Amino acid sequence: MDKQTQLNDVIQGLRSAISELREVLIASTDGLAIAHSHGASDPNRVAAMAAATLGVGKRISTTLDLGEMRETTVKSANGQAFLYAIGGKGVLVLIAQSEANVGLINLEARDAAARLEAVL
Amino acid sequence: MKPLKLVVAGPVAAGKTTFVRTLSETAVVDTDEVATEAIGKASTTVAMDFGTLDVGGVPLQLFGTPGQDRFDFMWEILSEGALGLVLLVHGQRPAHFPRARDILEFITSRIPVPFVIGVTHQDLEPVWRPDEVADYFGVEHHQAVGLDATRADSAVAVLLRLLALIEEQEGASVADAPGPTPSAGEPGA
Repeated sequence: MDKQTQLNDVIQGLRSAISELREVLIASTDGLAIAHSHGASDPNRVAAMAAATLGVGKRISTTLDLGEMRETTVKSANGQAFLYAIGGKGVLVLIAQSEANVGLINLEARDAAARLEAVL
Repeated sequence: MKPLKLVVAGPVAAGKTTFVRTLSETAVVDTDEVATEAIGKASTTVAMDFGTLDVGGVPLQLFGTPGQDRFDFMWEILSEGALGLVLLVHGQRPAHFPRARDILEFITSRIPVPFVIGVTHQDLEPVWRPDEVADYFGVEHHQAVGLDATRADSAVAVLLRLLALIEEQEGASVADAPGPTPSAGEPGA
């Protein structure tokens, strides 16, 4: 199975597992969209913002001696964005509505990030 | 004295991160990641560089921006509250000048602050000289300065030029700054 298919499978798997997800996206650490769910609003923009956010998060982690940075979340009035580091290779982004099952999202996404690390 | 915020912007590989690293007296906060595209170097800034220094008693905060277009939201975020702009262009990459002009326009339309254009890689040949770059951008010659971003004295000279312009604009006096450009420390220079 080629890489793109594998990536899309992981994305599809997440969408199937979690109904409250609006979008799923995979970005490179330098902000390019690698794969994304159908109907994603602006993958290039989201990829750049996710990479920038993760980059800052990594810097906070190293500067404060917190070890390897893993995840960060943007919680807003009408939704939330969950960002997971894919090893040192990329960012997995899940965008969900406000009343989403955070426990399930984290469970599924952390697992997905680990699998994606092997693919990338 | 309240720190003076300066933004460092410009196209990819102009030397922005290097500039901030050369100047900063404190540990630089930077966000370099492996570049997946061929941009002429291995890493690229994805969010920002942050450094601080003191120039002649004036505490400065430098905010370096990413050069790639897709990070333009960072240009806007980082420009907030800035009192001056250093626009860096690679002296051997005139193909990037139009991009640099767009960046200059983008930032100064949001924050109309004094700016200096730093033309990097002056040690290489052939290279665009500051006067030529000033003409290209349609600015006065004193607004474009040749720069070796790896050298502190060269980098400070760019800041002094910018501080002089800021002073001029504010009509306020800033503490006398020692350095290679004697006129820069005088109010209204």
